Amino acid sequence: MGDLLSLFINSVFIGNILLAYFLGMCSFIAVSKNIETATGLGFAVIFVLTVTSPVNWLIYHGLLAPGALSWAGLPDLDLSFLKFITFIAVIAAIVQAVEMIIDKYSPLLYATLGVFLPLIAVNCAILGTSLFMVERNYTLVESIVFGAGSGTGWMLAIVSIAAIRKKTQYADVPKGLEGFGITMIIAGLMAMTFMMFSGITL
Amino acid sequence: MNPLKKLFDQNEPRFTGTGKYKKFAPLFEATKTFFFFPSPKTLVMPFIRDHLDLKRYMSFVLIALLPVLIFGIYNTGFQSGLALGKEFGLVKSFLTGLSYVLPIIIVSYGVGFFWEILFAVIRKHKISEGFLVTGILFPLTLPATIPLWQVALGISFGVIIGKEVFGGTGRNILNPALTARAFIFFSYPISMSGNIWVANTVDGLSSATALAVTAINGESISHALSTAGFSLSNLFLGFVPGSIGETSALACLLGAFFLILTRIANFRIILGGITGLIITAILFYIIPEGQGTWAKAGPLYHLFAGGFLFGICFMATDPVSAPGTNAGRWTFGILIGFLTVTIRVVNPAFVEGTMLAILFMNVFAPLVDHLVIKYKNSKRIPNV
Repeated sequence: MGDLLSLFINSVFIGNILLAYFLGMCSFIAVSKNIETATGLGFAVIFVLTVTSPVNWLIYHGLLAPGALSWAGLPDLDLSFLKFITFIAVIAAIVQAVEMIIDKYSPLLYATLGVFLPLIAVNCAILGTSLFMVERNYTLVESIVFGAGSGTGWMLAIVSIAAIRKKTQYADVPKGLEGFGITMIIAGLMAMTFMMFSGITL
Repeated sequence: MNPLKKLFDQNEPRFTGTGKYKKFAPLFEATKTFFFFPSPKTLVMPFIRDHLDLKRYMSFVLIALLPVLIFGIYNTGFQSGLALGKEFGLVKSFLTGLSYVLPIIIVSYGVGFFWEILFAVIRKHKISEGFLVTGILFPLTLPATIPLWQVALGISFGVIIGKEVFGGTGRNILNPALTARAFIFFSYPISMSGNIWVANTVDGLSSATALAVTAINGESISHALSTAGFSLSNLFLGFVPGSIGETSALACLLGAFFLILTRIANFRIILGGITGLIITAILFYIIPEGQGTWAKAGPLYHLFAGGFLFGICFMATDPVSAPGTNAGRWTFGILIGFLTVTIRVVNPAFVEGTMLAILFMNVFAPLVDHLVIKYKNSKRIPNV
């Protein structure tokens, strides 16, 4: 239990998927103008990550990993080169499901998220989490916790930058830096403060 | 008529309207209001009466920093003497300290004002007094032996990326002085590592800061600290090596008292920070892990060692980057205290956590404010 807790804290703060690995930047920059929308997208990402990470774990360790197909009489088969395309397909399918659920239960959020909801499917943070999960040899339970932790870290980052961008609406930014430019600078400054946790081993 | 006023009045046409030096109007205006109250009056509502304009506000912070600065200069000289194996007298310590500290301050102000004026002239905004404080806070957070080009680089980053790209004082998200320090800290870790008086002394004696001390052979941390010369009273008064302004808890508290009395700094942030630090230090003291490390140092050592009091009194209370709601200020302070101790104890990469804790909470200050306001709105009786 303590290990799982430290894995969670690790993936939220120390190895923050966004501010330490810089994955999922596109929607982080694009959907952070409004705090409510950012919160909605954050929850969607947490949900998608918590589901895709264990599903991909099952598929990888049940079908793709070297020797995983020994139950079918094929112990030498190594299908792990298929992991990218399989993971992407699984993620796309689950995002479709999330999209339909949000459309049904919260049309307002569906409308505000707009094109960025289907774009979660190509959000690098989602695929990145699945690949990290394989690379670090997590167990099934660990992969769930890692998925939820990565999502929480991503949400923390996007909600706080949304609040900052609300504050910098009053800023007088030089012409060439307006919009994305200043947002990238803010993201860089945030990443610098998140370096506070680098070096901690839990 | 006052001759000074006459001089300004005579030269005013050159800087206004179609005057020859119109471009440098911000510089003229800044110099003039340094000596005289600004004459323009508010013409339309809302009217707010207050004796504090930004310039007075910032100069009060400078007054509050005087004890820290003077003691810092003295202690720098005193410590450099100790590193050479001699005990300097009062005057000698002060003069030696001045020879270290003055160049750093001059570079910090010179380079910083260069960028301020450049941005003010090109972007046609006024020169803000905020830099008077940033330009002195930054040197006070540095070790006295830092190379001067690093000071120049740091203050450039702090002023440009930390403040001017957002449009100048009042619009930045992080404290510019701390942004500058963090940039130098991550870029040149060796000159910021806390081991000062190593490179520039002939019979180089290394003196580490109190936070770098760990106990060995099962002795307690407080025992190890006092053997290394860091007794509680020494840490409180500040006769220890460290960054220029951070060593003396007493001088920081004097400054904080003045700032709270004149209502420049918000007492909630300072009290919240100290409370958070004490509670966290007690928690780490109680849990049985980490014998002989800073986890067992207890609240008083955590409070007086390192740069916590300097940070919480002068950096965290920056009204721009701190939250604007009272509940937010308490949260902000308490979390800074908590994170400072946590980084000191848990993170082996950094011995001191104050700077990063304050910057981290600066990032979350707008979110804290947003949550406080949202909570208060939810408590309000809806319009019927």
